[in-house]
Amino acid sequence: MQKLFSNAMDIGEQMLICGAEVRRVEDTVRRMCSAFGAKRTDVFIIPSSMVVTVYMPNSDTYTMTRRITAISTDIEKLHNLNNLSRRICSKKDMASEDIHKEFKHIMSGKAYPFWVGLFSYMIIAGAFAIFFGGGLADALAALMIGGVMRIVTVLLEHAKMNQIFIKFVCAFGISTFALGFMKMGLISSIDSAIIGNIMYLIPTIGLTNGLRDLFAGDSVAGLIRLIEAILNALGIAAGYFLFTFLLGGALV
Amino acid sequence: MMYYIIHILSGAIGTVGFALLYNIRGKKLIIACIGGLISGTLFEMFNIFLQNEVLAYFITAMMVAFYAEIMARVVKTPTTTFIATALIPLVPGRALYYTMAYAFEGNAGLFANYGLATVKIASALALGIAVATATARIVHKLIEKRHYDKVN
Repeated sequence: MQKLFSNAMDIGEQMLICGAEVRRVEDTVRRMCSAFGAKRTDVFIIPSSMVVTVYMPNSDTYTMTRRITAISTDIEKLHNLNNLSRRICSKKDMASEDIHKEFKHIMSGKAYPFWVGLFSYMIIAGAFAIFFGGGLADALAALMIGGVMRIVTVLLEHAKMNQIFIKFVCAFGISTFALGFMKMGLISSIDSAIIGNIMYLIPTIGLTNGLRDLFAGDSVAGLIRLIEAILNALGIAAGYFLFTFLLGGALV
Repeated sequence: MMYYIIHILSGAIGTVGFALLYNIRGKKLIIACIGGLISGTLFEMFNIFLQNEVLAYFITAMMVAFYAEIMARVVKTPTTTFIATALIPLVPGRALYYTMAYAFEGNAGLFANYGLATVKIASALALGIAVATATARIVHKLIEKRHYDKVN
């Protein structure tokens, strides 16, 4: 049972990291433990920690905790983990080794390569520069800034910087580059280029998951996610503030 | 008309960018992209017919969240996949940016205007998602119960 329980914790932990909402993970872990034969399962999950206790019919109890330090959204992995948990619950007698093998297989699944990330930042920035009322020149400038910022983000993430600091650096970089493009005469206003680039800094998954958890009745988990989102927004504002401050507020 | 087409298309392209960033693949990528297209189109329609931006945001968010819940059940995947992508064209990036810009410029009047607009839009979106999520859960429970009754 201990091995099976550990498998359930692995799956739950990775689902949380890949971007599932807390309520779903709690539900999944509970269902898996019941499928393994637990009489009762107490699950407490917040975005940074999991505590689960299972009570077996022979009055054995097991408790495990997991500390979650980083979120890295990967919907493909989440989808596969979700499928695995569904299969575990419907079959009820999967061997621990089989589950572990499948889990390892899912975790070794490839993320998109670096250039797809680069491309996605560029089209987000370019598309939303037009979406929020910019012209073709604004989109081009936004696109180039987006590419540079992806490289900066990947480097900072590699150096294990925290998200708020990354947002801060990006917001500062975006505004500075936008001003540079304006000085070069490519764009007439820095606004659209900056708005397009701010889009990928907004933690949309955190916000929607936080809201959904909050409305599902899990106020602790929901509030933690929302506060993280607000701190991220403050990081963006701080980066932009540094930019205006260095300019003496002359150009905004 | 041309303006709306470009507007809605650019919103959908931006949604694809986010879908790629979140590592959404295959059929789900297409569904997510259609979600972005729907939310852009619905918002512009409701905004024209209702002449009320906040209400348009609320109704669009609700309908898009329904779309996400339904599609998630169709392809058996977590709802997050489609909700977090389809809502992206509704994110008030412009209002957020101007709130920030006017705050640091010291223009209290415009800061309050845009700040209030951001809060209103965000609340409308949150409420829309809440209504859709709650309804989806109730419907899901009812279906599950009927299925259970049939089996036993």
